[in-house]
Amino acid sequence: MSSQDKKNSYALRTKRLALSAILAALAMILSYIEALIPMPVPVPGIKLGLANLIVIIAIYKLGFKYAFTINCVRILTAGLLFTGVFGVIYSFAGGVLSIVVMYLLYRTDLFSMVGISMAGGVAHNLGQIITACFIMSNIRLMGYFPVLLFAGMISGILIGIVAWLVYGRLPHLKV
Amino acid sequence: MIKKADIALFLIILIFGIIISFVSLFGNSEGDKVKIAVDGQLFGVYDINTDQTIEVEQNNHINHITIKDGMVSMSYSDCANQVCVHSEAISMTKDSIVCLPNKVMIEIIAENQGGDVDVISG
Repeated sequence: MSSQDKKNSYALRTKRLALSAILAALAMILSYIEALIPMPVPVPGIKLGLANLIVIIAIYKLGFKYAFTINCVRILTAGLLFTGVFGVIYSFAGGVLSIVVMYLLYRTDLFSMVGISMAGGVAHNLGQIITACFIMSNIRLMGYFPVLLFAGMISGILIGIVAWLVYGRLPHLKV
Repeated sequence: MIKKADIALFLIILIFGIIISFVSLFGNSEGDKVKIAVDGQLFGVYDINTDQTIEVEQNNHINHITIKDGMVSMSYSDCANQVCVHSEAISMTKDSIVCLPNKVMIEIIAENQGGDVDVISG
């Protein structure tokens, strides 16, 4: 590797690091905004998933490793600040399952952002309800799953459309 | 923007959702006992036809559960999100009210089908 290449590779890594930090901060703020929006339904777990917007864009822009790290940082910081330790456990289960599902679908190259986001929303709610079943040691909580499935679908589709609109307008940084 | 695979995935999840909705609605019946569990442990079983208020006090958390006219609701909780208090009153065996922060769970059971409930709550 010539010294010029080495310089470029360092510059690239710094760019990626900076972008990851911006996205993580943005995801945290979106989590905060989401905590401010009251949901008009009496079922726990139904939410917009605004932070998912960032995760999708990170998967497309930076790849799985960066997206996963951004999501973990977001869950830890936002969780500890706004929802407490239990919130972190639920978000973590949902966040990890949803990012894995979204990345696998992304890799197939068959789906658009909307489809990927929809699957991510459903996977997120599935992860959360499975965790709730374990924490409460009660399988009957799965009775909530149909509602959460449709809620995840709707919010996932909406977030997917927004992500697609935002992604098209992002400056084409070479990262 | 939208690809064929998206629509296929949408339909698969939709059909799956409709099927599990039907499965979970199936076999819903009026129960006759109210079961309260705290942190997965049985707290008590009460008759749904006796109007009463049950105070559940544990780990510095307080929940009040009210049974009135065959309907059960969470009348008070000291948790932060108050989701359980805003839940609608329940009376069917598939229904439950859960207070996740305080780990309190209310279920309706039917005495004559009690067998499987014990297994599940284990």
